[in-house]
Amino acid sequence: MAKITENTRNEVRETVFSFFAEECEADKSQIKDATNIIKDLDGDSLMFLELIEIFKKKFNLDIELKTIGKYAVKHPVETIGQLIEMQLLIIEHENRLLELDK
Amino acid sequence: MPLKVIVSGMGIVSSLGYELDTFWKNLVEGKSGVKQITLFDASSCATRIAAEVPREFDEFSRTLVKKRASGQMTRVTRMCLVAAKQAVSLSGLDFEQEDKTRCAVIMGVVNTGNSSVEKDTSLQNTVFKSMTNSMPAWISLEYQLQGPNFAINTACASSAYAISMGMQMIRNGNADIVIAGGADSIINPEEINGFNALYALSVANDTPEAASRPFTSKRDGFVIGEGAGVVILESEEHALRRNAMIYGELAGSALTSEGYNIMAPMKDGEGMSATMEKAIKDAGIEKDDVDYINAHGTSTELNDRYETLAIKRVFGEKAYQIPVSSSKSMIGHTIGAAGAIEGIITLLSLRNGILTPTINYTDPDPDLDLDYVPNKCRPKEIRVALSNSFGFGGHNATLVFRKYHGKV
Repeated sequence: MAKITENTRNEVRETVFSFFAEECEADKSQIKDATNIIKDLDGDSLMFLELIEIFKKKFNLDIELKTIGKYAVKHPVETIGQLIEMQLLIIEHENRLLELDK
Repeated sequence: MPLKVIVSGMGIVSSLGYELDTFWKNLVEGKSGVKQITLFDASSCATRIAAEVPREFDEFSRTLVKKRASGQMTRVTRMCLVAAKQAVSLSGLDFEQEDKTRCAVIMGVVNTGNSSVEKDTSLQNTVFKSMTNSMPAWISLEYQLQGPNFAINTACASSAYAISMGMQMIRNGNADIVIAGGADSIINPEEINGFNALYALSVANDTPEAASRPFTSKRDGFVIGEGAGVVILESEEHALRRNAMIYGELAGSALTSEGYNIMAPMKDGEGMSATMEKAIKDAGIEKDDVDYINAHGTSTELNDRYETLAIKRVFGEKAYQIPVSSSKSMIGHTIGAAGAIEGIITLLSLRNGILTPTINYTDPDPDLDLDYVPNKCRPKEIRVALSNSFGFGGHNATLVFRKYHGKV
């Protein structure tokens, strides 16, 4: 289990904001935690998977997609803030993510 | 009495332009879009020429297609979406004012162009780029349409089939609006080598602009083109209710199958003539009403011979009075997009009262003796025009367009 430091949190936030600004051709300063990924940014579900791949490489994570899929069914992500929190949980708990629901 | 179907919008992407006015001007001037292939190194191919969409299209498409979506599309799919957006824009449609469950999309798609020449294909966009339903899907996504949405593959007749199916859907009361057409490009080494092996392509590499020469004695095969054509079909009643501009009537069509050969058309154009006969009947017109035929006119030995024979069989002596021209002499054979692009040319001819020429008509074939509108455009008042499309596998289609005498 990785410890989430302030640096990690900032790095994840920066990566997520930059990713959506680039992919959705949006002004980064206009993206907030409450920004809805689909309604406000015209994003798509594949972006979530692409971000997971980015973080898997960046943090050398041991996480299976099906684990994230099962978790996401119970904890749907709609906003940028929710997505950042889920990415932090994935980094922190990796394949033990589902144990959070026990 | 079936509902009258009209065309209220058109969009084009082709070697002669990706805006309707430019495209039409180039056709009327008899320009050729055929050049040396630049999309890949064709030096080892027997055919090294094609009618490519200008490179500037990539920049133009960025103004209409979002970056994220664009990355999930092939260049050909982008052509399709751009043509659709131009058609919708011209039609003045606001889908927020429409019942979206009654708005359909039908595209003729032979393949999506995800070949070796396609750039920037990642593992994550491979599937999206290859899905043959991607073209109608992206159009429905663009406008959040909820009616029927599908692709049709009948080779070179695909987008004519799409337009015919759209017409039938409106006639039957199953849709108010249908976005119909198609897009295609087979300018890649795999397809060119394959068609060369069938001796289907011109190898006049030293004279690209003169290579596509339908109905002449020097024709030596078709020249590959690429592009997209999309029309907006509506019932007349629906179009009038929203005060739409009407560009012409799609009066009828026929879809037939020859059941004869995977490549060659039926001897003496029997299948082709049966298709034209059926379309004329479907439109409820007299043969004497037909003032122009936009031919399939591929510049191949068999097609041009048989299409000429078919026209003579259908119209008898009157065939000699009907101008017949081949747009493929200028824009090449755009395969799955041909039916829609040439349907649009036919509509523009009706609307503008100008016949576009068959260029490169310098050495007439003595056996082919119709009026092929040689080399120069010609003014002519047209009441009814046919547009023919015939595909490998024996898929035939004829669309019948009529001048609209209401609000134009």
